Amino acid sequence: MIRNMKNLSIFVCICTAITLLLAITNTFTAPIIEKNQSASANKALFALMPDASGFEQVDTSGYTLPATVSEIHRETSGLGYVMTLVTSGYASDMVIMCGVRTDGTVSGAVCLSSNETLGKEKTYGEQFVNKDAAAVDAVDVIGGATKTTAAYKNAVKDALNASIILGGGSVDIRTEEEILADNLAAALPAGEEQFERLFLVEVLDGIDAVYKAENGAGYVFVMGEQFAGVLSNGTVVTEGVADPAALSGAVQRLEAVVLEEIDLSAYPDLLNTVLSAKKTPSGNFVVETKGAGYGIKGGNEYHPASGEYIVVRVSMTPNGKIIDCLTVSEAETDGLGDACADEKFYGQFVGKTEENYTEIDAISGATMTTDGYKQAIERAFAALSALRGGAQQ
Amino acid sequence: MNKKNSLSVLTNGILKENPTLVLILGTCPTLATTTTVTGALGMGIAAMIVLLCSNVFISLLRKVIPETMRIPCYIVIIAGFVTIVKMLVQAFFPGLYETLGVYLDLITVNCIILGRAEMFANKNSVAASALDGIGMGLGFTLALTAMATIREVFGAASFAGASIPFLENYTIAFLTKAPGGLLVYGLLIALVYAITKGKAPAKTSFSCSGCPNAATCHIETCSGKGDEA
Repeated sequence: MIRNMKNLSIFVCICTAITLLLAITNTFTAPIIEKNQSASANKALFALMPDASGFEQVDTSGYTLPATVSEIHRETSGLGYVMTLVTSGYASDMVIMCGVRTDGTVSGAVCLSSNETLGKEKTYGEQFVNKDAAAVDAVDVIGGATKTTAAYKNAVKDALNASIILGGGSVDIRTEEEILADNLAAALPAGEEQFERLFLVEVLDGIDAVYKAENGAGYVFVMGEQFAGVLSNGTVVTEGVADPAALSGAVQRLEAVVLEEIDLSAYPDLLNTVLSAKKTPSGNFVVETKGAGYGIKGGNEYHPASGEYIVVRVSMTPNGKIIDCLTVSEAETDGLGDACADEKFYGQFVGKTEENYTEIDAISGATMTTDGYKQAIERAFAALSALRGGAQQ
Repeated sequence: MNKKNSLSVLTNGILKENPTLVLILGTCPTLATTTTVTGALGMGIAAMIVLLCSNVFISLLRKVIPETMRIPCYIVIIAGFVTIVKMLVQAFFPGLYETLGVYLDLITVNCIILGRAEMFANKNSVAASALDGIGMGLGFTLALTAMATIREVFGAASFAGASIPFLENYTIAFLTKAPGGLLVYGLLIALVYAITKGKAPAKTSFSCSGCPNAATCHIETCSGKGDEA
């Protein structure tokens, strides 16, 4: 027992001596290691703002900044800021570092980490160097990496906006969806902030879009920059509307629309391409057609076909002018062809005729999807032609 | 210890009893850190410092460290010096620290260090142990550097990071991988064996007696019991 205690004491003494040596070494190496680590972390900051003399982290708790901004470093002599932004790309989160000068130009942008598949985000940031907000807006997204590069560009715009906010200015940092929702709620408070876009089957002159309150309170008409709220009984609630009577009339027309189903069995030529057809009391047609996009034609062992068509709903006047267009369903490639479900794409067909419906901007990196969509529109015109002529048998 | 003996202790580790190429100790860091000459040199020097310090410390305490507690004591001493070396490398050679990565910590369990503590430092004077540490460390460093030179020059057409343009189109990428490392290792062992034939210690002289458990081993056939390397 005594021997064991003696052995243990020796072991404890050795441990103590080693601990002392470690403590002494740590005392003079710890500050150097900390300095090295800080310099290593700041290397990325200096790379984005080479003229900087130093950086200090900014406490962002007192500011309302875009959600993508996760960390901000201020250049100590007042040259600007370097911000770390986290945004969602095609496959996962992307971490972007962006330098913004106080004059509102980008000093550099670099993607620190991402698991994106295309890798184009690695050099995409170079395009923003020395550009201001307007020039950043004009930078094109890259075909084949639309979602990734669009997210990257938005992150750079967020950095520019954050810089303005930090400088004491104010800037609208809401997304397009948030702006639309706010405008709709302001135009028709009775709608209780719940609206759905109405698929138009009647021509409403001067009206770009109509939103219907989900609680049935009324409609909001979008006319350029103006949002006009009208109750279901036809009362215009928004002040300053140029022609309230026209909007009241439009509401009556929208409320009165009853679609008549057309029996497609009477049109054997349309059975393979048209899924449904309806007619409005005023003689307009609403058809749902299918087009073979990438999901049908692009299948191979590397890109298995989903086996699903693009289904498009189109409303047309009897003389062949598209009143409204909507993508009902699609199973195109995520981040590429699925842009056909975006209003920015299918909205291009509104107002088009059989002569000019092909004059639209194609989806970058998704030629087959664009072609499939055009095929669906072409079939809608063919259906219109057949439906106008009456039953084939 | 006379001058001749001192020289012999110092030079033993370089070729005759080279820890890597003759005693075949420390194979793991040998294969892992020899893809670049810089990494190999860094690992060799770091291991040499730990060897020197732990040998001196253990030799100094050889009469104090209890027989039954010696392995835990050696491990504490070695781990302590490895941590000190790690702190110093991290503070003054951050690039090398990044290159060596986890292998720097693994010096703690490097057979060469524990082997020399058990085989030499706990039986010899402080001066002899210091010379043994330097000699073994030099031998380890030279072996790593030789191996890394072959692997980096012919595998990546560069030496210590500086590219060798005329070799760029004739690289043998295989050499930079683990199987290539094993091949070079084997060839170097064969070369050293050919050079030291007849001079290297007979295997029996460092087999059982070199075993860390030799002194307490109860196997009767352990021929090295009581025998000192």
